[in-house]
Amino acid sequence: MLQINDITKTYGSFRALDGVSLHVRRGTVFGLLGPNGAGKTTLIRIINHIIAPDSGTLLFDGHTMTDNDVMQIGYLPEERGLYKKMRVGEQAIYLARLKGLDKATAQQRLNQWFSRLDIGDWWNRPVEELSKGMQQKVQFVVTMLHNPQLLILDEPFSGFDPVNADMLKREILRLKEEGTTIIFSTHNMPSAEELCDDIALINHARVVLSGSLADIKANNPGKGLDRIFIDTVKQ
Amino acid sequence: MNKILLVIQREYLTRVKKPSFWILTLVVPILLAGVYAIPIILASRPLEHANVLVVDDSGLFQGQFRSGRDITYHEAGSIDYARRQLEQTDTLDAIVYIPARETTLPRDAYLYYRTDAPSMTVQSDVNSQLQEILRNRILLDVHGLTPDDYTMLTSTHIKLRTQDIETGRDSFLQVKIALGVILAMLVFIAVFMFGSQVMRGVMEEKTSRIVEVIVCSVKPFQLMMGKVVGIGLVGLTQFALWVILSAVAVTGVQLTNADLFEQISQRGNRTEIATKGDEATSQYQTAQYEAAQYEAGEGIDNSLQDLIQGLTDINYGLIILLFIFYFVFGYLLYASLFAAAGSLVDNDTDSQQFTLPLTVPLLLAMLLLPAMINEPSGNISTWLSLIPFTSPVAMLLRIPFGVPVWQVVLSMLLLLATFPLCIWAAAKIYRSAILRYGHKTTWRDVWHLIKR
Repeated sequence: MLQINDITKTYGSFRALDGVSLHVRRGTVFGLLGPNGAGKTTLIRIINHIIAPDSGTLLFDGHTMTDNDVMQIGYLPEERGLYKKMRVGEQAIYLARLKGLDKATAQQRLNQWFSRLDIGDWWNRPVEELSKGMQQKVQFVVTMLHNPQLLILDEPFSGFDPVNADMLKREILRLKEEGTTIIFSTHNMPSAEELCDDIALINHARVVLSGSLADIKANNPGKGLDRIFIDTVKQ
Repeated sequence: MNKILLVIQREYLTRVKKPSFWILTLVVPILLAGVYAIPIILASRPLEHANVLVVDDSGLFQGQFRSGRDITYHEAGSIDYARRQLEQTDTLDAIVYIPARETTLPRDAYLYYRTDAPSMTVQSDVNSQLQEILRNRILLDVHGLTPDDYTMLTSTHIKLRTQDIETGRDSFLQVKIALGVILAMLVFIAVFMFGSQVMRGVMEEKTSRIVEVIVCSVKPFQLMMGKVVGIGLVGLTQFALWVILSAVAVTGVQLTNADLFEQISQRGNRTEIATKGDEATSQYQTAQYEAAQYEAGEGIDNSLQDLIQGLTDINYGLIILLFIFYFVFGYLLYASLFAAAGSLVDNDTDSQQFTLPLTVPLLLAMLLLPAMINEPSGNISTWLSLIPFTSPVAMLLRIPFGVPVWQVVLSMLLLLATFPLCIWAAAKIYRSAILRYGHKTTWRDVWHLIKR
């Protein structure tokens, strides 16, 4: 689905990514793990064409990734935000249209999502009146609305209460069943262990560990992902 | 739909739908109509008529006070009698008392009242009549001049006409100054009002973090230009509504108060008739008064005539075209720079260091307005109207005075050449800075962002 080849990015004298190569398989949940400042967000921004790498290539479905392919991505950034004064429905439609949906389709899909997640009553309310958890739900829906083939979730559980976190987990697994590929960036190891098929651990701009979760656990018998993470980062 | 159009549409609609937009849109014409109507309504409001008793122990003022529309003067022989009258009669408002003279000229006069002090109109009328009567006395007794002589001496209203020697046309300087200042002010206000809205909009997207989601769907340049254009359209809408609503409000005031406006124009005649009918008015005073009225009336007529002629003398088509040109491109130039400034900061307080330098050129042009008015074709005016950062204000100020064609063309070309440069630099800054957080940007960083 997504092939990342030898990506390097520097900011002035700071090297954010140093020869990063990864392979994300179609229809899997890929865990992008690593401590804060390791380069995860930079990598995600490069995949989204928000910033350009200094060198390296991205292949999407076997071809060099284009701006059109970016339209197939749904991205939920770690730092979430919406226009505070704008009404929920209006805003969701605007963001969906920016992703290329027409108004009627956006409206129809939003109705489905909002009723499934119990947020239909909020349609005409300004975003600032919503609780933080509510805003997260709205933003998650907006991320999903154009039925992306590739979903990138950066720390999706931060800020969710246990009930909503559980709901989000079920949605992620449901989407995977439906064939969506998911990149899941986190430093919450238990949730990674629960959801991911493959993982890559990034530290100091480099991939220090990658492979299928099952293989990695088999190579580190008796250790949880937490322990493996800490040991690898310390090396 | 093209994405930049979606951004423009959102920027435009969210602002135009805000109550604050409509409040501002309505307040300005209402204020304008108020400024226009209130003095007229106040002036036409009939004042309560006042009766004033004159007691003159100096012997200089007897029979000289002229009654008018609002005040009637009566005479009394003694202050004691007048005092009793004031205490007993409700219709009497005040007493003017001039004591007997100790020197040649009286030094003090008194205006006595009971409970309520007389209105400002009464006070100023009494005062001016006292001065005038005394002056006429001195002129006659000491210099042997009649009031007519005096009127002749002081009414040397020779008029200086500033004219083009070839066409023989008046320069109508005042009208041109007023028009130029209004045009310059409008552009100045528009650039800052809507430019700072662009900056706040950019900061809102940055601080709320929504920008990261949006730049996945649209290029940062599209987002920035969509915002600049959308808010610019809001500005044009607001100005258009102001012009239309102000015209409606002013016409409304005129129509609903048609009788008042009629009265105002007839006011002069009526005062004159009232004066003539006054028994106490001696002949020469009437003559003098009429002369004064005539003089004042003619003065008003002349300046009104000048204003109308001056206004018709101006090439409005050209002015409107140039106004729109400098408004649009001046706004685009500054709004893109304001957008870049907004992308550089995380909070309002930090924005000062970038907005202040941006405001300097236009502020400088505004501060130099008096110098430019003094010499519309001088060096300062010429340079400021050519430099693209000041030309929107400076050139519009000069336009009513007439500017050589080559200067206008050069100024427009320079602005046209500069605004894409500003947008280009702003876009470079914006693209890199919009996703940078928790990092205080310096001017050195800005330079690196542009160079990159």
